[in-house]
Amino acid sequence: MTDFTSVQQNTFKRNGHINYFLRCLKALPTAAQGSDSNRITAAFFCISGLDLLGALFEKTSAEQRNGWIDWIWSLQAPTGGFRGSNFMTTHNDDTSPAHIPSTYTALLTLSILRAPLDRLNIPGLINFLRSCQAKDGSFSPTPGDEVYPNEGFQSDVRMVYCATVVSDIIRDFSGIDVESTKQFILNCQTWEGGFASRPGIIEAQGGTTYCSLATLSILNKQTGIPLPNESHQFQDTLRWSISRQMGGFQGRPGKLEDVCYSLWCGGAISILGHSELINRQADRSFLLSAQFPIGGFGKEPEDYPDPFHSYLALAALSLTHSQEEDDVGLGLKRLHAVWNVGQDTADWLKSEISRIKANS
Amino acid sequence: MSVATSSYIPLVDRSVWHDVKPIAQDDGPNPVVPIMYSGEYRDAMDYFRAIAAAEERSERALELTETIIRMNPAHYTVWQYRMATLLALQKNLDDELQLMNEFAVQNLKSYQVWHHRLLLLTHISPEDPSVEIEYLHRSLLPDPKNYHTWAYLHWLYSHFHTLGRISDQLWHDELTWCEEMLRVDGRNNSAWGWRWYLRVARPDAETGKDGLKPELDYALRAIHLIPHNVSAWNYLRGLLRHFKLLLTPLLPAILPYTAQASSQPTESTDNFGFPLPPGPLPNDTPLPVPLALEYLADALLEQGSNGEAGEVFADLSSNYDRMRAGYWEYRRRECVEQ
Repeated sequence: MTDFTSVQQNTFKRNGHINYFLRCLKALPTAAQGSDSNRITAAFFCISGLDLLGALFEKTSAEQRNGWIDWIWSLQAPTGGFRGSNFMTTHNDDTSPAHIPSTYTALLTLSILRAPLDRLNIPGLINFLRSCQAKDGSFSPTPGDEVYPNEGFQSDVRMVYCATVVSDIIRDFSGIDVESTKQFILNCQTWEGGFASRPGIIEAQGGTTYCSLATLSILNKQTGIPLPNESHQFQDTLRWSISRQMGGFQGRPGKLEDVCYSLWCGGAISILGHSELINRQADRSFLLSAQFPIGGFGKEPEDYPDPFHSYLALAALSLTHSQEEDDVGLGLKRLHAVWNVGQDTADWLKSEISRIKANS
Repeated sequence: MSVATSSYIPLVDRSVWHDVKPIAQDDGPNPVVPIMYSGEYRDAMDYFRAIAAAEERSERALELTETIIRMNPAHYTVWQYRMATLLALQKNLDDELQLMNEFAVQNLKSYQVWHHRLLLLTHISPEDPSVEIEYLHRSLLPDPKNYHTWAYLHWLYSHFHTLGRISDQLWHDELTWCEEMLRVDGRNNSAWGWRWYLRVARPDAETGKDGLKPELDYALRAIHLIPHNVSAWNYLRGLLRHFKLLLTPLLPAILPYTAQASSQPTESTDNFGFPLPPGPLPNDTPLPVPLALEYLADALLEQGSNGEAGEVFADLSSNYDRMRAGYWEYRRRECVEQ
């Protein structure tokens, strides 16, 4: 058996990562054009990354942060929900609708920045979620219409996860039909024990397994479904998720490791109540080996960094190496495994929602 | 206007666009993660905003959306506008499908490409979907584990089955194709999942409780061919779990892979009736196979032999699967505590 600590001697490039995220916040290269309609999500990766590193308020000015907050509020659609960016520069909801993943990342990013949420249009947000849900319980990324129905290729557990977390954040589930949502997720479990992107689809995957378990753990209070960490129903899911560890994690059997699956599979294992079963040392060695020399993480060693993999690698390290249990000096904040954001932000967000609800 | 390449002619200089006033992006004074757009992309988006604001449905709008999605295949608003325009102009959707055949080659990982294709097929709704099936089979050759392609293949069969257009012959041919995929790469987990759909999960699948034996045989033969094949073991365990069968009856086919002196079958396997491993095992099979030890331990648990099961888990934890030492120790503790 290989001793993983002797193979990889990488140190944690803390300052490199801080500078990487700061650079991305200023400008992304032309190669990132494919993220034009999802810029808020790239922003979330960068800002949440700085936050997990504990560097956000130290390395950015109040003026910068207030500017970012203004930009994010400019994405709130007049009828509720958030758009991915200002790519349409219009207030016409038909050509520039709010978008479910963008709504999730916009809400979290505002919270990381500690922006007061009084401007959040909660009734509109609830209507927006409702307009995205299909009869089978899934959600389309944008409200359905005759041309683009709610049912479709993109209406999968990723969207269900984002819609459910948003409902959890505002502590109002009237925007989603919780029973069909739950059933949709349960129908995604495959012969392997993990979860696929949609019911009947044939293969479990790390990201979709994470989204499914996180959704079920939120729906516990609303539907009486047992919490994943208190139920033997998910023993096969634990087995499947644990089996994906190769050092880092692969997303499916027979695939290569990719840093994002350290969070998706590691997060799934944490939600199942067993983060202690992750081989932290091997996972850390792989993650650190995927660091880019001047900061950021690629999906695997010697790959170029991008905000997505850079953030998810840090989030994965936060899962198993947060300050409380950190024996190797990474100095990362603790992660809220279900919402995928720093625990302190999750706590702040809960009290902020209470405050604005009390005022309304 | 600055442009990235000298051969590029800005839209403002093209007569077809002379009547349109482009709308620049207003990103406010504090844009977060601004992208350094190429000149072509910025130009095209400026005109797209103008076209969309006027709700123009036209040939030039179609061309513009194609230009943009070639530069940004994840642009959901542009895809949506394109679909609405195709339908409004009553365009020939077969031509669009041809374009997508070419487009998908470069963009197999774009959700929007597949969603667009799904909507096209829904509208075209061919009586016989076999041309599309053949296209999917060809698409999987260069990238046989592409999740989107398999998910789309699943949608295709489900959708056209609901319409009553999947003949018995098509189901049969699909299984033959799937078996060929597994023959070429027995570790292709996606192909194993597809087999599960075809044999177990699809409407009218043949693997009921009575027709189960050929399927168990198939999984066992796959294990005998590649004893460390995770997918084959998972498939076998999945079958047993799904049909609520015990692990123990299949132990004679598993035990040789555990390489445990005490675990050699004591009874004759003459009447066993399931495929057995080659005896002796090939020299290039590292033993024991951890997946076989896990199977053995779970079978022992099933028999109530918790102590013995715990020993096997301890062996996995200390010797044969150190990567998951914590998990096997957790399984061992469960045996002791029960």
